[in-house]
Amino acid sequence: MDNINVLIIEDTPEQSDTLSKVLLANNYNIAGVAQNYTDALTLFYKNPVDIVVIDVFLDGKPDGITFAETISIVPNAAKPFVFLTSSHDRQIFERAKLTKPFSFLMKPFNELEIIYALEMAVEKFYDQTNVFLSEDQDTIISNDYMFIKKRNVLKKVSLKDILYIEVEDRYCNIITEKEKFVILISLTKISALLDKNKFIRTHRNYLVNSDTIEEIILADNLVILKGNHKVNLSDNYKDFIKKIKTLS
Amino acid sequence: MFKLKLFFLSIFLFFPLYNFSQVQPTSIALNQILQKKAIEFKNETNFNKAHLFFIKNNWDSTLVYSMKQLISSKNEELMDYCHFFRGYSFREKKLFKEAQSEMHLISNKFILYPLVNKNLGQISLELKEFEKAIYYFKEVEKLPFSNNHGYKISIIYENLGICYLHLNQFNKAEEYFFKSLELQEKEKDLISLIGLNMNIAGLYYQQYKDLQAITFFEKAYNLSKKVNHFESKKNASLNMAIVEENRGNFKEALAYRKESSKWNDSINNQNKVWAVADYEKKYAIAQKQKQISVLKVENKLKDTQRKTMFLSTLGLLLVLSGGVYAYAQKVKNTKIILSQKIKLDELNATKDQLFSIVSHDLRSSVNALKTSNSKLTTSLETKNYNELDNLLNQNSAIANSAYSLLDNLLHWALLQTKQLYFHKDSVHLFSIVQQIEFNYKSLLSDKNITFENSVSKNNFIWVDLDSLKIVLRNLLDNAIKFTPENGKICFYTVETNTNFCQLVIHDSGLGMSQNTIDELLQDNELLAKKKNSEIIGTGLGMQLCKQMIKKNGGSITIESELNKGTKMILSFPKTEQNG
Repeated sequence: MDNINVLIIEDTPEQSDTLSKVLLANNYNIAGVAQNYTDALTLFYKNPVDIVVIDVFLDGKPDGITFAETISIVPNAAKPFVFLTSSHDRQIFERAKLTKPFSFLMKPFNELEIIYALEMAVEKFYDQTNVFLSEDQDTIISNDYMFIKKRNVLKKVSLKDILYIEVEDRYCNIITEKEKFVILISLTKISALLDKNKFIRTHRNYLVNSDTIEEIILADNLVILKGNHKVNLSDNYKDFIKKIKTLS
Repeated sequence: MFKLKLFFLSIFLFFPLYNFSQVQPTSIALNQILQKKAIEFKNETNFNKAHLFFIKNNWDSTLVYSMKQLISSKNEELMDYCHFFRGYSFREKKLFKEAQSEMHLISNKFILYPLVNKNLGQISLELKEFEKAIYYFKEVEKLPFSNNHGYKISIIYENLGICYLHLNQFNKAEEYFFKSLELQEKEKDLISLIGLNMNIAGLYYQQYKDLQAITFFEKAYNLSKKVNHFESKKNASLNMAIVEENRGNFKEALAYRKESSKWNDSINNQNKVWAVADYEKKYAIAQKQKQISVLKVENKLKDTQRKTMFLSTLGLLLVLSGGVYAYAQKVKNTKIILSQKIKLDELNATKDQLFSIVSHDLRSSVNALKTSNSKLTTSLETKNYNELDNLLNQNSAIANSAYSLLDNLLHWALLQTKQLYFHKDSVHLFSIVQQIEFNYKSLLSDKNITFENSVSKNNFIWVDLDSLKIVLRNLLDNAIKFTPENGKICFYTVETNTNFCQLVIHDSGLGMSQNTIDELLQDNELLAKKKNSEIIGTGLGMQLCKQMIKKNGGSITIESELNKGTKMILSFPKTEQNG
């Protein structure tokens, strides 16, 4: 599991320092701190970024909104973002609102509020609301990552790293090459959210990352994965084999 | 000589007829019969009209209406009457042929049949069909004598006489003339008597029995002196003149001629007088016509005047009502403006009060900070480090309260000026309560108040996050303010089956009386008065809470017991699942 990278766009160093401290304390990585629009764009494209925290006003200009607008129009580059504002100015808000999904945080804010706002932004951005705060789910799945809230800390796991997923009631065991952990999500949801061509059902309780399959032993009903992980193969789900290009 | 005689006779002969016809329409008996019929056939308007015109001797109209009656009705009796009217009218208009044919159309059942015969006789006489005339008159004569049917038997005799005279049957003529004379002398009708005498004289004259003729001429002449009928006088004297002329007494003849011409003149004069009268009448009529036309014009003028008057009145009325309406509107507007003004004044007063309270609070806060800061400086100078921590805590507490006051003020202002950004979203209530509590941790631990957040973690509500935070902040602030040391403040939700989520903020504080609760919840924008400046604040926070809750579509109720604690019960709309 990796930490979440946050890009901070804030022109007041004091405030960005406080914010950095809070985020670091909550196991977030700081991908960078930009003080103006140009820096922000540079940092955004240079470093891996998962969430952007944007101050609406940079040097008295609403450049924060401009930045949000800029990243929003590039389809795959867009990331979840949170506006920080001390202004109640209505017109600015009306403009900021157009950059959907729109989350914002009023200054001054405390630790809990910024964490909440970041989680909300991720939920809204991936359109999977009421996840982190409900009691029956703690994971959001994007195209590349799983965002998992573990003991009040938001973490991410790259889907590429996952070998297979073992489902057990409301829980799923995620097995990567290096670690193994449990997330809270129902099977229906997880299979709906994951790419069906990449994660293949081999058994009632197993979802396998097809990229990691090394060998399929039909006689033993076994699938051998990277790192010599073995997964059961049931007759009902054997059909996927036809789709796999094999050397014969 | 003979020619001369004949000429005279033709004059006499028609005279009785003329005379007769004058008597006829006034015949009361005939009128009475007609009147009865008119009453009997009330509904036949045409008949009634014909009858009325007949009595008035208006022959043309009689003809018209009797024709209408003939076309419209097939009642035989009425048809007889109508034919009678028509025959009579034609005769009067000297259209004898038509008169005769109309008279022939009358059935012999007709009550006035003798009269019809008489008329037919007269018509035949006029048409010089003497034989026929005699036949008709004889028919009349045959009937028993009566005066009821509007004719005199004497006249019939006379007419018979005339007929025989024309047929040169002198003996018969003489006989009838004398029969008539006998009757007429009894009746004393002088004018017809004169005519009769002249007719008898004419009879003798034609037989060259001059002496007898002269006797009757003279008799007629003498009688003519007694009457005031110029025609008779003229004819009598003219006849005398001719007689004298024939006898060769030219002098006397001349005298009679002169007398005759004198009477002729009189007739002419009379005619002239009549003509003048006629003219005058015409003139008068013209005058009247003029007057009428003038009146008509006047009427027209009056009419237009009345119309103009009416229109102008209407216009005035309209203008008036418009004015009244406008005035009423104005009064109404003034009233509205007045009430608005009063309300504005009240609001302004509230605002002023608010400003004074806020500025006072702020001033005292800042002043406390100042004093505390100077103490801090002194402590630092004197290196009294033990005091520092205490003072700093105090400072931060003061700063916090001043900040929250200012924050409330800002939001209140934004709300009042409708500039507040309002964006409803799904909100996790538990997290928000935690976030709010986070800011008050130090305050809570200062007073050693236990805080408990038992809000269900599955509660999502549909509100504007910032306004919710303002509300919760204020309520928690109040709860802390009113809860004594070692007290307890608890946030929890109550499950309801409605679409609303109930959040209860329960403190173990001072509590308040029902009056205070009512005052707090009163829906006016006036701020509660500051009774106890130590504890009770401006009331701004509570006002703000109420307005924010209302704006979020929620509601607030308060349950409280003095010295036991207060429950603030808020309800907010839940986030709709799957939507």
